[in-house]
Amino acid sequence: MNTPLEPTLPSYLSLATEALIENLLAAEPIVAYHRAQILFQVDAPARALIDRLSAAQADVRQMQSRREVAQADIDQLRALQGEAQANRVIVDYMQTQQAAIGFLREINREISELLGVDFASLAKRPGCC
Amino acid sequence: MTDSAPNELEIASREVVFQAARDFTAALAETPQFKAFEDAAEHLHRDEAARRALDAYQSKQQSLQAVLMLNAASEADRAELQRLHAAVVSQPSVAAYVQAQADLMSVCQSVADMLSQAIGLNVAAVCGSGCC
Repeated sequence: MNTPLEPTLPSYLSLATEALIENLLAAEPIVAYHRAQILFQVDAPARALIDRLSAAQADVRQMQSRREVAQADIDQLRALQGEAQANRVIVDYMQTQQAAIGFLREINREISELLGVDFASLAKRPGCC
Repeated sequence: MTDSAPNELEIASREVVFQAARDFTAALAETPQFKAFEDAAEHLHRDEAARRALDAYQSKQQSLQAVLMLNAASEADRAELQRLHAAVVSQPSVAAYVQAQADLMSVCQSVADMLSQAIGLNVAAVCGSGCC
């Protein structure tokens, strides 16, 4: 099998893709996600909390693999999780992201049903996980 | 592009967005790569020799699934599986299907990249049913 080069898209497909992008960017779930994303990005305490939570999760995972995790580490992780779950900006960001993903899945389903083949599976690049 | 494309102050209705998705699908279905993929799939479906080779390979693979997972298949079984696989890929209709699928994937990856970059979410990964 020859590895295909990046194809030059026909103009009608480029136009249809740009129109879909324009409409998706104005779709309520995507608009809400982008608004929440901006609010999160400008909220330094919220971002710092997520950084601390990510670091604590990584630490606990490492300690678990070495069987060295202590109750205090678990307690600290739970406290940070609780803090994040109580932060309105973070919760909005996560919830709107899930809603945006759900909407994109619906769009993919519509495209795939019309095509007769799963568009997302065809579009997935190897090793994207 | 749909007639009622929204301006910056508007939220696009669900129907408008879905119509844009349907227009996009129609455009994708018009590409030479999609048409070649459909032709190759149809040709493969009608190719009895290729289907028999594929069935024989899949049947052997299924019968060996457990031992292959345990890395405990015999040399003879491995050689037989390899022979059956070679018989599949040597079928012209299989090779044509694999190439057509790769060409179509390349187009789909390009448009999905455009969508992902604009939206800020990896469309193929979040919509796919794979490992993500």
